[in-house]
Amino acid sequence: MGYYHDMADINGTLLQVSELTKHYGDIRAVDGISFSVPRGTVFTILGPNGAGKTTTLEILEGLRPPDSGTIEIFGKRVRRVDRRVKERIGVLLQEANFEPYLKVHETIELFAAFFAHAYATRDIMALVSLTEKRNALVKNLSGGQRQRLALGVALVNDPDLLFLDEPTTGLDPQARHNIWSIVTGLKERDKTIVLTTHYMEEAEALSDYVCIMDHGKIIAADTPRALAARLGKETMIEFTADQVPAAARNSLSGRFPQLRQDGGTITLEVADLVPALQHLLGWAAENGITLDNLVIRQPNLEDVFLTLTGRRLRE
Amino acid sequence: MNGIIAAARAYLAVSLRERVTLFWFLIFPVFLFVILALIFSSTGKQGKMNFKIAVVNEEKATVAGPDFAAIVVHTFDSLSTAPSGQEPLFTLLRPHPGETTAAFRARADAALNRERITAVVVIPPGFNGAMVARLRASYATPTPIKVIVNNSSEASRVAAGIIAGVISGIDREVLIRAGQYVPSDETKPVTEWTGKNKHAVSYASFLLPGVILMAFFTSGLFGVPGTILYSRDRHILQRYFVTPFTPLRYLLGFSIGQLGLCLLQFALLYVIGRFWLGAQVNFGRPGAILFLVLGFFTFLAFGFLVAALAKTGDGGMAIGNLLNIPLIFLGGLFFPVGNLPLALKVVVFANPVTYIAAGLRMSLGLGGEGMPLVASIAVPIAWIGICSLIAARRISWGVQ
Repeated sequence: MGYYHDMADINGTLLQVSELTKHYGDIRAVDGISFSVPRGTVFTILGPNGAGKTTTLEILEGLRPPDSGTIEIFGKRVRRVDRRVKERIGVLLQEANFEPYLKVHETIELFAAFFAHAYATRDIMALVSLTEKRNALVKNLSGGQRQRLALGVALVNDPDLLFLDEPTTGLDPQARHNIWSIVTGLKERDKTIVLTTHYMEEAEALSDYVCIMDHGKIIAADTPRALAARLGKETMIEFTADQVPAAARNSLSGRFPQLRQDGGTITLEVADLVPALQHLLGWAAENGITLDNLVIRQPNLEDVFLTLTGRRLRE
Repeated sequence: MNGIIAAARAYLAVSLRERVTLFWFLIFPVFLFVILALIFSSTGKQGKMNFKIAVVNEEKATVAGPDFAAIVVHTFDSLSTAPSGQEPLFTLLRPHPGETTAAFRARADAALNRERITAVVVIPPGFNGAMVARLRASYATPTPIKVIVNNSSEASRVAAGIIAGVISGIDREVLIRAGQYVPSDETKPVTEWTGKNKHAVSYASFLLPGVILMAFFTSGLFGVPGTILYSRDRHILQRYFVTPFTPLRYLLGFSIGQLGLCLLQFALLYVIGRFWLGAQVNFGRPGAILFLVLGFFTFLAFGFLVAALAKTGDGGMAIGNLLNIPLIFLGGLFFPVGNLPLALKVVVFANPVTYIAAGLRMSLGLGGEGMPLVASIAVPIAWIGICSLIAARRISWGVQ
């Protein structure tokens, strides 16, 4: 709750959610979450599949009513997001499609007609780099182009608040970076963005604030740097090694109790790097083990999630 | 309002670009119309149709020479038998033993009115004398044989053409054998129409309103739920409804788009029917416009009903097919449904298509199945109400 109040004081709050809940039968999809989103920031909800991210966003987009809780958006408390709010928000849904037999410019014009005020179609196409595809049918677009179209449609009304639900899921790295650069551009134009993702790199690259959700609850929320700092002054040593004998592994975990193994990848959390490295190199020589892909890095959001839940984000 | 018009335009654009929709809603009705019109305009030439008729011989005069009336009767008699396994061209309604000619004629006329038979061929008194006179002097005109047909039955209209061909053939054969045949003197039998419409109606004219209604019906029953359910399943509707665009506006836009599609269907079928197949139908009559509009809304409501009942697009197609067969085939669009067994008549009378088709044909002066005008309007309106009510309560937009 401290975070909740702190953030409300920064820059003014555009969206504030209190004790929001949503059940599907016996399942608590969203379990009493509270957070606030300051104006002009990228607020990321990070969590594995089934954490409740999409349900939270669908409530905030007006697709579902909450069972309980309050939503304060643009300074007004609403039970459910209504038409006036929808005039000021932009949405990129996780599973949304467009009419496959409409052209790109027709799709943007269609959505522009739904709003009282909208950008010119050519401006939106330029913004998402689809000008050359203006007469292409939606069905003939690549995955990345479709997602850029979805982003363009989300921006058609020049929204004050933008909801992006897993905008890069299923895209190749280049298409993903294209989307990231558009989102970064929006951030520079002082847009407020609520983003969900299960990609740790995406959250780290784009976010001002990150809220980690699991099983419908917020388990941590702060800036990415502050979240990583929660792991203390630990440094992560990561390497891959084939066929580590059980005895060798046990001897290593005796020295490094925070050892984690994910397939062939072993990660060590160490407080004092130099002696730890010396010990690791000695252990490898002693056991005849080659340390491939040796990396020394700072803790990231994946490490935070692992520490908090004992699971990886994509499990 | 902009959003509604934009949604209507988008629906039309998608319908005209999507090949399956284009085929079923525009090309198929045209194809069916042309095929039916061409097949039935040449019916009988291949000997694969059977028409039930009565031949009433009222000729009593005895003149020297051959009994031409008996030749005509014998000819139709011979055309009512066929080698084993084959269908004869005619099935004759025959007089009961001891039945007078007048009684048989009355029975035949009644059967024709009830569409139990397709035509009554009447050989009038004085026919033999007239034929003899013709053989003596080729300028004499034979007393024409009358062919009485029922204008509310398309089978009857088709039979009229075939019977005329048979009678002309007999006439020609007799004249050739007597060495008196002059092609320019060839006569045709007089065709007398029974039923409400006293004018002959071509099959294309009769068929055109039915095909137009079928096109409206198909696009309503399949196009409406198909589009809604597909858009819902693919989360396209969800994408609409996170904007200020509401389900009600979507429905309005969708309905306007559907109206545009139906107007296109109408225009295409009308132009082909009028300028290619020679259909003479005046759709400008207020009654015709009323029933076309009523048909549009009824089939639109049925489409919404299917969209409300089905959980998926595939389910919608299955329900549509289940409704399509009884509603179309027991709705009098392509053939009369007045003489069906009682069990099927229940479906006929509960079927809004029956009333719309009958109302439209009545308003166009094309006969009809004799439904009262009030029922022709009230029954479809009742169906619109029922379907809309169920749809409003049950339809899911993918939004809670």
